[in-house]
Amino acid sequence: MTKPADERRRLDLLQGTLDMLILRTLQWGPQHGHGIGQAIRQQSDDLLKVETGSLYPALHRLEKRGWLKSEWDISEANQRAKYYRLTPAGKAQLSREADRWSQLVHAIGRIMNAAPREE
Amino acid sequence: MRPDQRELDEEIRGHLAISIKERIDRGEDPEAARLAALREFGYVPAVRDSMHRVWYSRGFDAVTALLQEMRIGIRSLRRAPGLAVTVIVTLALGIGANAAIFSVVRGVLLRPLVNRGADQLVYIRQSAPGLGAANTTFSVPEIDDFKSRVTTIGAFGDFSTIDFTLVGFGEPRVVRAGVVGGSYFDVMGLRPVLGRLLAPSDDGPNAAPVAILTYRFWSSALNSDPTVVGKTVRLSSRPATIVGVLEPSVPYPADTEIIANVVASPHHLGATMVTGRTHRMTELFGRLRPGTTLEDARAELTAVHAAMVKDHPDAYSPKADVRLSVTPLRDQIASPARTILLVLLGAAAIVFIIACSNVANLILARSVRREGELAVRSALGASYGALRRTLLGESLVLCGAGAVLGVVLAGPLVSLIARFASRFSVRALEVTVDTTVLWVGAGLAMTAAVLLAYVPRLPSSFAPTGLGLTNGSIRITPATNRRLRGFAMTQIAFSFVLLAAAGTLLAALLALQGARTGYDMKQVLAIDLPTIGAIGVRDAKEMAFYQEMTRRIDEVPGVTGVVLGSFVPWRDAGSFPSFQFRVDGYTPENGEENPHARFRIIGPGFFSVLGVPVLAGRDFTDEDRAGNEPVVIVSQSIAQRLFPDGNALNRKFWWTEALFGKPQPRRIVGVVEDVDDENVVPGPAFTVYQPVLQLRAAGRLFVHVTGDPYAVVPSVMQVIHAMSAEQAVERVATLEDVRAEVLAPERLNALVLAGFAGIALLIAVVGVAGVLAFSVSARTREFGIRLAVGSTPRRLLWSVLSEGALIVSIGIGAGVAGAYAFAGVAETYIESMRTPGVLTVLGAAGILVGAALVASLTPAARASHVDVLQALRAE
Repeated sequence: MTKPADERRRLDLLQGTLDMLILRTLQWGPQHGHGIGQAIRQQSDDLLKVETGSLYPALHRLEKRGWLKSEWDISEANQRAKYYRLTPAGKAQLSREADRWSQLVHAIGRIMNAAPREE
Repeated sequence: MRPDQRELDEEIRGHLAISIKERIDRGEDPEAARLAALREFGYVPAVRDSMHRVWYSRGFDAVTALLQEMRIGIRSLRRAPGLAVTVIVTLALGIGANAAIFSVVRGVLLRPLVNRGADQLVYIRQSAPGLGAANTTFSVPEIDDFKSRVTTIGAFGDFSTIDFTLVGFGEPRVVRAGVVGGSYFDVMGLRPVLGRLLAPSDDGPNAAPVAILTYRFWSSALNSDPTVVGKTVRLSSRPATIVGVLEPSVPYPADTEIIANVVASPHHLGATMVTGRTHRMTELFGRLRPGTTLEDARAELTAVHAAMVKDHPDAYSPKADVRLSVTPLRDQIASPARTILLVLLGAAAIVFIIACSNVANLILARSVRREGELAVRSALGASYGALRRTLLGESLVLCGAGAVLGVVLAGPLVSLIARFASRFSVRALEVTVDTTVLWVGAGLAMTAAVLLAYVPRLPSSFAPTGLGLTNGSIRITPATNRRLRGFAMTQIAFSFVLLAAAGTLLAALLALQGARTGYDMKQVLAIDLPTIGAIGVRDAKEMAFYQEMTRRIDEVPGVTGVVLGSFVPWRDAGSFPSFQFRVDGYTPENGEENPHARFRIIGPGFFSVLGVPVLAGRDFTDEDRAGNEPVVIVSQSIAQRLFPDGNALNRKFWWTEALFGKPQPRRIVGVVEDVDDENVVPGPAFTVYQPVLQLRAAGRLFVHVTGDPYAVVPSVMQVIHAMSAEQAVERVATLEDVRAEVLAPERLNALVLAGFAGIALLIAVVGVAGVLAFSVSARTREFGIRLAVGSTPRRLLWSVLSEGALIVSIGIGAGVAGAYAFAGVAETYIESMRTPGVLTVLGAAGILVGAALVASLTPAARASHVDVLQALRAE
């Protein structure tokens, strides 16, 4: 059970970044939906939590666009689970999104950290 | 690869299993772990739906759901086969009739002509309303005037018809041929399928006589013989070379087998034809010059025509009131069929409305029985839309099946209606069953399905549905009952309109058929003897040939009289103009023209053979021949109108038209009863008869026969062919059949409309019976109580019957009001609209009331025989 303190710390995902996070997570190798959600959570030090209601439609959307491929396999829980894998197109997309992201961060950072102008 | 529902479920299940296992591994209690995992996951169906939506659009889902509903619909309808069959057949009638008629309407009125650039083609017609001539056609000098003065028409095409004896294709036959100028085919935008068509180089008196064949003649009579080009045939006296075959096209203005150039017809080269302004026999077409509109051409042609009339007062009598009309060719060809086709389309639409109302009734009654089922689904959370979809699925199944059956029905109907419509427009001959039928069928079925799905009332969220839920029995609400009756009234109202329309046509037809004609209709055979020269006076030798022919036919057993004539009543109507005459003892008043009379050439004994009474004087005899005193016989109307005491005998008579040469006095030797051989509706007739032996022109033979007239036909043919193998003998029919043939379009109109009315009546009666039967079965309990407290069965019977009578009366009232309102609108669009007579209206109403009462009898009898105990225990 998550504690209220954790809930307060939690950040909302920026619009449009979920796809990038999923692609990034899958760079380490094929993973199922639950695993992807856990990975994002753990790597963000519990700051980001992806709701299943957003995660699964996103996975299917990425698969439909050809950036992911899915196959059935037996999971560690001895259950059939669907594993998602990055396709070459997905890798290319990831590097595009990463570039875009760093530009965005840079741009926003410049605005937020600008020294006050001399009058 | 689109994942299906099962795969999505499995993915979710996998997620949960992993999540639970992790928690258990962390030491949580299995049950608590399961709950926590589920809680963390969120609402499973929502997640699954959002995954599903990635792959499937909403439209796809809707269609899938509808297909599912349709499968359910088929299953549930299988349990009510009677209802399903009634609905499907009713809809099939409505859809089939509409699809068939629309195909014909499209083919005749809407489809483009094969003629290239048909929208530039105009048809020019001269008429003389003052003389009752709807189409006087044009003479060569008139056409030349147009050609030299009109600039808005780029080129004119002319077409005249003439009869030739065609020798060269099988037996010698008299055929109707077209004679055209060299520009005709170019103007009409037609091409050959074989050889070439006629060109300007074929014009003029020095060209070689050539002819082309129409496609229909070439493909049917000659089996599409490719070697026909280059063949030489004889057209009456002259040889002509076949140079080509015309592509399939609308045979307008005349359906001919062969079309020749001017040289092929000696008549067309004659002085009368070339210089006679009143020698009119040519139809005129024009192609608009690019950039000019129909209005420009109409204005210019009318102006040129007006100038022409002014320049030649002798050729256009003021009384004739000549006019010119210019219409697009396509409209001209289709226009005679327009009215009747639109009427039929209206009738078909009404049948469709009636069919839909009837089906709506059946569906409504069914949905009332299903109210329990719908209420349960509604209570379980089915949305309003989901319930509608269920109803739509079922009505789609019904309407789809109805449409399939309807389209199957439409196939033969199309050819039937096309044959019928071909009497009005030659274009109907080209109509074939095509995909139009399918589209119309599918469209109508969809319309009906959607309408029907919205007919039943759904369990309302505001009204308590407790009753429906608890016992699932029929509860007929006043609202439903009102709707049922409303639909039944609609059917009655529309059936009434159709019945009244059919009744009007039938009444007119009966009046026509019953009219007394003055002839011995049943026993007289009329025979065409086409003469070798198309028109004209024969020599004495040929006259002797015909006299000998009649003498020999007279000896055939069964024949009681034979006579030559020039005009078969009704069949030859319009082929012979009226001429002016004057008589001794009658002077027209100032400013009034001489009277006109029909001119008929007849043999001796004509009136006794045809059964027309001679009122005064005598019939012609063999002595009334060339060289003896010129004589005439006049009709009763002439005698009574022109002579004060009606005594015309021995008065002098003159034709005053130039055609007859120098006026020559003739003595009136007889007065006969009026017979109207021009109009099927007999009226007074000014007719003058002249003896064939003094004029030597005859082309018709009349034979009076005792017993079966057609039995003597082979012997008569034998006699004629024994005398001359070349003499054609055509169109043998009794006068009765000749008249029936002329009346055939009227009869067909009446029959087709009566057919529609019959279908409508049948559907409406089924509808009324259905409503009453349903109302009775829903009120079984009420009837039981009423019987239990002392109502007599007779009273119950009357109450049901009067319910039926009420529906019918209101329906008829609405029908009368609607029909008269509609007639008012229609009159502005359709000429010769007839408002039904009082008798027809009463008759139609009577038929409906009678049919409805018969339909109410069964339900009424059932109501009066309700078993009290059973009814009270029923619920």
